[in-house]
Amino acid sequence: MANLKDIKRKIGSVTNTQKTTRAMKLVSTAKLRRAEELAKRSRLYAQKMNQVIAEIAGRIECSKVGGLDNRCFEKIENPKIVDIVFITADKGLCGGFNIQTIKAVSKLLAQYKEKNVKVRLRGVGKKGIEYFKYNEVVLFDEVRDLSSKPDKVRSDEFIASSVEDYMDGKIDGLHIVYNGYLNIITQQLHVNKVLPVNADDFDCSKHQQSTLEVEAQDEAKMLDTLVKKYIQYNMYYSLIDSVAAEHSARMQAMDAASKNAKDMVKSLNVKYNKARQASITTELIEIISGVESMK
Amino acid sequence: MDKFKLEILTPNGLIFNDEVVSVVLPGEEGEFGVLAHHASLTTLLEAGVVDVEREDKSVESILINWGVAQVDEEKVIVLVEGAVAIRGESEGAIAKALEDAKELIKDIADSNPAIASVSAKIESAAQKLF
Repeated sequence: MANLKDIKRKIGSVTNTQKTTRAMKLVSTAKLRRAEELAKRSRLYAQKMNQVIAEIAGRIECSKVGGLDNRCFEKIENPKIVDIVFITADKGLCGGFNIQTIKAVSKLLAQYKEKNVKVRLRGVGKKGIEYFKYNEVVLFDEVRDLSSKPDKVRSDEFIASSVEDYMDGKIDGLHIVYNGYLNIITQQLHVNKVLPVNADDFDCSKHQQSTLEVEAQDEAKMLDTLVKKYIQYNMYYSLIDSVAAEHSARMQAMDAASKNAKDMVKSLNVKYNKARQASITTELIEIISGVESMK
Repeated sequence: MDKFKLEILTPNGLIFNDEVVSVVLPGEEGEFGVLAHHASLTTLLEAGVVDVEREDKSVESILINWGVAQVDEEKVIVLVEGAVAIRGESEGAIAKALEDAKELIKDIADSNPAIASVSAKIESAAQKLF
């Protein structure tokens, strides 16, 4: 019976798939451990850096002191061009990890389109780049192989051009969109508006006593350097956070795939046994009826 | 003497988090010391040695390559890019820390004349430990 052979083949193919998914899960688990460690260690620094910058921004906002006007801390009412940097994985097979980021970017694009704001899309990671290219969305800039292997030098170079353009007044905002690591089973989408620096959360009344004193002769230069470092670090941190999230997402997806394959093999086995039984029964009936007819 | 909280963070994590009596930081405009209840200020730091004095008068030296310090009345937060603490149980460990420290400042691209003095400072900090 041909049916029997088909089922057998199918069982073989599903078992092979299962082997692959299980191997991929193991690889992701190992990689995740390393990436998670790196992200965890850097998280504190990123948080403090954000805190310091937010405080400076808040104090500038509250005191409205002259001489400290830096474009990065100003509120820009009518932005004309903004940069959106998105980070996706270079590889697929990680569940909804990439699509979540892509959706968030598309939403942001739509929002800006409504307001007639031009967007320069800068992509990191093959999956996102391919998606937008397929959908005929023009990418201003694209980088591959950076999201899978975060490298401080490359990430600094990449983001520096946006920061410089911002400082030169060529763009009026900068967003970083990526899917970050929350814990081993959840990823959290981040849509960070890094420029202009957000000072909204700062409570002025709390800090009325202490005024900001910037101990540098060239205050503007100091703020520029600081903001640059802040954004460079933010970008790098986004990358390592994204890698950790990617591995956790892949681990989960591959775990689910292995489980599904296992279930499938089980049900196919049942089907195979039933088909085998049926063919034996038919054969027996054929023999018996043959014998009967000869009597 | 009054104490205050000092936190030194690098991208690889928290390397110092303790109560201290004083800290000397290599600011861009020159070295400056901070005691408890210092007026708030924010400044950039350049390559140099951070000297931390604890309550028991022990001094610890930490080499940094770039950083930003935020000082307020209660605490000091120092964010640095790279740091090596010059300390160790044995002579070997101190020598290793010294190697690391020299490696760290070698990475600083611009030929800063301050580097030479920093190297000398690291040596002298290490000497104190022996």
